Amino acid sequence: MATDTDALVAELVGLGRDLPRPEVSAGLATAVLERIAEAPAPATAPSSGVGEWFHALGEATRRHRRRTAVVVAAVLLSLLAAPPVRAAVADWFGFAGVLVERGGESTTTSAPPPPTVDAKTPLEEAAAQVGFTPALPSALGTPQGVEVSPDRRLLSLSWSDGPDGPVRLDEFDARLDYTFAKRTPGVVFVAVAGDFAMWFDDPHEVVVLNPDGSRRRETARLAGNTLIWMHGGTTMRLEGDLSQERALEIAESVPAPPF
Amino acid sequence: MRGGDRDAYADLVHRHAPVAVRTAALLGAGADAEDVVQEAFVKAYNALGRFRQGAAFRPWLLQIVANETRNLHRSAGRRADRERSAWRLTEPLLLAVPAAEDPAATVVLRERRSELVRGLGKLSEPHRQVVTCRYLLELDEAETAAVLGWPRGTVKSRLHRALGQLAAALAAPAEMTEVRRGH
Repeated sequence: MATDTDALVAELVGLGRDLPRPEVSAGLATAVLERIAEAPAPATAPSSGVGEWFHALGEATRRHRRRTAVVVAAVLLSLLAAPPVRAAVADWFGFAGVLVERGGESTTTSAPPPPTVDAKTPLEEAAAQVGFTPALPSALGTPQGVEVSPDRRLLSLSWSDGPDGPVRLDEFDARLDYTFAKRTPGVVFVAVAGDFAMWFDDPHEVVVLNPDGSRRRETARLAGNTLIWMHGGTTMRLEGDLSQERALEIAESVPAPPF
Repeated sequence: MRGGDRDAYADLVHRHAPVAVRTAALLGAGADAEDVVQEAFVKAYNALGRFRQGAAFRPWLLQIVANETRNLHRSAGRRADRERSAWRLTEPLLLAVPAAEDPAATVVLRERRSELVRGLGKLSEPHRQVVTCRYLLELDEAETAAVLGWPRGTVKSRLHRALGQLAAALAAPAEMTEVRRGH
């Protein structure tokens, strides 16, 4: 049996090795360097000229055009805000179970504090229900509230009497299909412990999704500063009135996952 | 590495672009593989300020590539549709792989490979992804875990199951195959 598997592995490796080496065009590095030169701020890409947006809309389905569409989306949303246009240029992307829609104008400059978790489920019990070990940032200490959602997909923790004010941490298995959807004017790409992470510092809509992708209307709310990162196979969503530095500090105070 | 060091970043782009394009293509980016990679390099650059010194760049980059590739299929709707649309772009690529062996063996090898690719097509998306990363792309277990965003234990168990299912799929129409398979 072992030799069968070995032979199969050898065939797969052989298939991979016979794949033609990709011809990476010489323009790739140049394009990357041009883009990083003109866009030092990661959150909001600068407009590359309103004239381009007609072009962008015409080919919005093409990936490389969609980027241009994103650039002009902000301009369009503020100037026109026509729903069909908005739909055409909406840029969707996702990360570890979180679906993000670029868009959503900021109508307010502040969001209410995150909802407090009232339940006090013992952590062992919560762990057994969600099927993973809750990750606890040492920077926050022991959580005051611990709760598992009725469908056992989401673990929520909250701290209320610390120096950071009300802070909420949601954790879920990142292999699940999207769990949260966000609609936001901007996102900053950061890294937590060397891994890709996202920081939101504009008030934005957040809603919990059902396993089939539909929105749980009753969960829709306005969220404030939020950091999303992965911890092992778990997606972590930290929300509170935190600076980016403090949020990253809290995220990095979670002990490394057991590998 | 900090913001101004663009030459060093260009070097990273040159070094990692081939594996990044391969990864995007095999995970389902199709003709958009290079655009996906361009996007991933820009995102990676923008996050470099927080990138931990000494951490491996490649798995981190490939993780972004994998996310970006998945996003390409967002418009395909539900997860099952997205997964099918990704495989539709990868399958022809694998079926077209030239067998650089001697001509006599080519027909048999080609036949066998078509079966192998069809077998891959029957796997669930996570199983196909783990096989793709681990064997077609030859990433190690830790890299595979990072790229797919799974714990290492999950990589191990899914790989084991995927190989079992693949072997079973290949064994099914035994009379159709020309390759002897011992038990």
